[in-house]
Amino acid sequence: MQRRRNDPAADTAEQDDAVLARRIAAARPGIDRDAEAALCRRLARRVRLYGLRHLRDAHAAADLVQQVLMMTLERLRGGAIRDPGEIVSFVLGTSRQLVIDLRRGQARRDRLLQTYADDVPAADPSSAPALDHARLRDCLERLAERDRSVLVLSFYDERPARSVGTELGLSEANVRVIRHRALQRLRDCVEASTR
Amino acid sequence: MSRAICAAPVPLPVLVDYWLGDLDAAREDEVERHLFGCGDCCATLERFVDLAGGVRALVRKGAIAAVVTPRFVQTLARTGLRLREYRVPPHGSVHCTVAPDDDVLVSRLQAPLAGVQRLDLVAREPEGTGPLRLRDIPYSAAAGEVVIVPRIDRIRALHESTSTLQLIAVDDGHERVIGEYRFVHTPWPGS
Repeated sequence: MQRRRNDPAADTAEQDDAVLARRIAAARPGIDRDAEAALCRRLARRVRLYGLRHLRDAHAAADLVQQVLMMTLERLRGGAIRDPGEIVSFVLGTSRQLVIDLRRGQARRDRLLQTYADDVPAADPSSAPALDHARLRDCLERLAERDRSVLVLSFYDERPARSVGTELGLSEANVRVIRHRALQRLRDCVEASTR
Repeated sequence: MSRAICAAPVPLPVLVDYWLGDLDAAREDEVERHLFGCGDCCATLERFVDLAGGVRALVRKGAIAAVVTPRFVQTLARTGLRLREYRVPPHGSVHCTVAPDDDVLVSRLQAPLAGVQRLDLVAREPEGTGPLRLRDIPYSAAAGEVVIVPRIDRIRALHESTSTLQLIAVDDGHERVIGEYRFVHTPWPGS
């Protein structure tokens, strides 16, 4: 999955990001509000997911989104990103660095918030429709006991297969097989009710 | 702005492996780079994350019945849930209830599990709907107990009643009861 060389799907999406980034950079010293809002909408979801994955905390992920977007706009407006076509690489690198900083307890947040918070367009990254919990519960109850146990243990504390397998007396590979099969059944069941 | 459709989507099992930390560092980096450039795969991952979050929310409400583990119970307590636990020896009995502010009920069925090949659980509920047999439930022999979280709303709805659980070892086609557990339920006063 070498992104720029072998991944045409990601390339296409990145081209859209790059177009917006170039518009923002070209607007200097003015501000292209529409392009900034569009770019923030696109990037917010990805940064939020990255934050949830690495910080395991919704509030921390939301903070990360805001910080990354602020830094991205700051650099684009200031002409500090040499090639705006590389905006996705910049955002990924910034996200990674900020997560490291957040873990270390360093706070660039206050300084950035003071300077740029009002300038960042609102970007609600949560786009998924609300999940029907009653339906989800019914679908979980239809799973085999072992399948349900593996999903509950895996998802509650977001634990890897090896850890779950150790507790249940299963191999890591076995947990992954059960997890995949159970998740597929659960998704099919939940989505069947929304069709 | 045209919407790109991913021509080479990351398979869901790989996204799940990524989310739960089951990929090696190189593969994780590949998936991460793809996700930052691909809205479609992000959307797939978001749907999974929402589903996993839904499971988590149901567990926190005591709304899922499941066989779990001793460590999982510790995790529930660590995450701030109020637990009510009943530990029952083999062929034992316990008086039980559920308080209004309990989040999760935990039944710990102690049993000699060493050498058991397959374990089934038979539940006889007070409503008289006939025994329910759960086949091949997960367990860790080393734990020496089977840990169950029942649906708390169902327990709250019970009148004074007695439920019976049986653990049945199935070894080479032969069955033997290794534990029978009686739960004598009394509703919380005033509830």
